[in-house]
Amino acid sequence: MNTFDSGTQATVLVLFTALVTVTLLMCVMAGPERDDLTNFYTGYRSLTPLKNGLAIAGDYISAATVLSTTGIIALAGYDGYVLAVSTALSLVLLMFLLAEPLRNAGRFTMGDVLARNMPGRSVRVAACVVTLSATLPFLVVQLSGAGSLLTFILNIPHVAGARTASIVIVGSLMIIYAALGGMRGTALIQMIKIVLLLGTSLVVAVLVLNRFDWNLGDVLRAAQHGSGAGPAYLQQGLQLGTSAVDRLDFVGLQITVVLGVACLPHITMRLYSAQDVPAVRRSMSWAVGTVTTFCLLVIIMGTGAAALVGSRYITATDPHGRTSVLMLSQVLGGAPTSAGSTILYSAVAGMVFITLLSSVAGMTLAAASSLAHDLFAHAARRGQAEPRTEMTVAAWTSVVVGIVAIGLATLVQNWDVGVLTTLAICMGASAVAPALTYSLFWRGFTRTGLLATLYGGAACALLLMVFSKAVSGTPSAVFPHADFDLFPMQSTGLVSIPFGYLAGWLGSRLDHRRRAAVGLQSRRLYEESEARLLAAAE
Amino acid sequence: MTFADENRYPPSESGWRVPRPEPRAYRDDAPRYASYGQAYASYGQAPRDEPYAHDAHRRSVDLAALRSAYRLLRRTSTLAALGSFVAYVVLSCYAPGLMGSRIAGELSLGMALGVLQLVVTFAAVFWYGRSAQRSVDPLARNVREQAVAVGRNTGVAR
Repeated sequence: MNTFDSGTQATVLVLFTALVTVTLLMCVMAGPERDDLTNFYTGYRSLTPLKNGLAIAGDYISAATVLSTTGIIALAGYDGYVLAVSTALSLVLLMFLLAEPLRNAGRFTMGDVLARNMPGRSVRVAACVVTLSATLPFLVVQLSGAGSLLTFILNIPHVAGARTASIVIVGSLMIIYAALGGMRGTALIQMIKIVLLLGTSLVVAVLVLNRFDWNLGDVLRAAQHGSGAGPAYLQQGLQLGTSAVDRLDFVGLQITVVLGVACLPHITMRLYSAQDVPAVRRSMSWAVGTVTTFCLLVIIMGTGAAALVGSRYITATDPHGRTSVLMLSQVLGGAPTSAGSTILYSAVAGMVFITLLSSVAGMTLAAASSLAHDLFAHAARRGQAEPRTEMTVAAWTSVVVGIVAIGLATLVQNWDVGVLTTLAICMGASAVAPALTYSLFWRGFTRTGLLATLYGGAACALLLMVFSKAVSGTPSAVFPHADFDLFPMQSTGLVSIPFGYLAGWLGSRLDHRRRAAVGLQSRRLYEESEARLLAAAE
Repeated sequence: MTFADENRYPPSESGWRVPRPEPRAYRDDAPRYASYGQAYASYGQAPRDEPYAHDAHRRSVDLAALRSAYRLLRRTSTLAALGSFVAYVVLSCYAPGLMGSRIAGELSLGMALGVLQLVVTFAAVFWYGRSAQRSVDPLARNVREQAVAVGRNTGVAR
């Protein structure tokens, strides 16, 4: 339903090319020296709190957040508002609970945090496995979305070849950013992205409110009307349903988002590049401020999409409403051929494009760092790898991770794989969050407990997800015609988060009972490193 | 766990780490803690030359103070943030009548509370930064200085 002439498409294409050129140039110039590990993984911790905060916010607001959250608000109203609140709150929790000890305990990757009291290769391997299983689904879902999104933006006919080409182009760019830029290069792109994102969203939100003469009541009335749901638009239940199980599912989903999103490895990785504890605190303040502002803007944009575009047109293009921002900008711009509409549409398309590029690059970097640092340098070479070798490995693992992600995304492009986002968040909430909280705050945590948490939590989330309503049994599922939905919910957090915590506790108990020496050693190592954990004292 | 290539701060020529210059945020508290340090110095004759056990004791006391300060801050802030959100979600699900009641025009109570949470976030983050600066940072600085002093006394090469 893209009704634009070739002039608009030419503008969009020129803008895309300019964005890619500028960001590539900056990325290469900011990139690390060939054998400088600290520079590659943390950029020498040289970023100011404001810049680092913007980079954290940039990594945090993925393309999935921008497009899906706006879509859910446009289609389900109140449920989307709650989702926006929980997205902002997740980063707040990361700041209050984990950010400062994480900065002190970590060095480059999550494996460094977890293995600091529990030396051993099994811990490193487990950390790497969980990092990959949390980032890869997220990466695949965004890349496969990139295909249909770019064909929509550029108004190319929806044929498989065009979508595959878009996936390959976005994927190759992401590999280049991650491999050449390292932490510093991607940080620059994240900063550019978040500034563009905030600016464009602000303009769109102001235009929406302006259309209704700044009368909130009118916006909400029009949204209720446009969504076709009436007063239900402003009540919980449109997204997942209103039965008792559905409501429980909704509560579970929100709690999973709050606990899971901010724990994902590509976000915690940014914390290690802060200079010291006050710096990490200020970085997080900037990040939380930015993300919260953006969530407020998303609420306005989503409601505006419901009011001005209407759910009938939104669902006709994408049943999840992921194109609603773009459609909103088309409506807001005025007549399809006017200069205003061309500029607005190009700006929003550019914002979506750079968001997509930067978020997949950040995730690739996180996955590649974990492979190179945890699996290669510490598990395979037992910490004896040359920095230069590790750098080369890190660059090549970015390429491998990127190619695997491109392959998977091409394979699943015809399916509705939005469930992979939920899977990644569930992994974060049920494996990463328990492991990090136990490892940072519980001195009785042992290696068995850690492995039980990581593998148990991840396996539980994966298993329940496969048998959930999001994979089969409902019209919007991945396999709508199959029927193996034994777990009657869309997200698994309600069961898998307690399971992850319980597994860690039981595993540690078991160690203390069976092998008291191991338990005592873990406790001693924790106490020895406590000064470093709490005060950054060496 | 330490790493072979651990290189967090530029090493000083003398072999141990130089104490890093304090960020400006600490300035307000500096006099108070300087006087605390002096009081302590006049209590022992020469704290730098005290036996190791004394230092270790003081170190563990400082660390315990820091630990409990951090714990208090962490628990208050996390429970407040998580508690208010869980209450909001549960109310949205199980008291739709209450949350759907209009308070001004089309604006329902639930929507207002949601937006309010986002707005309060800014204040909460500001409050957290202030309290952390007051309660945690001075104690953390003590522990760091202690660690440097111990390192000097025992001659640990770093």
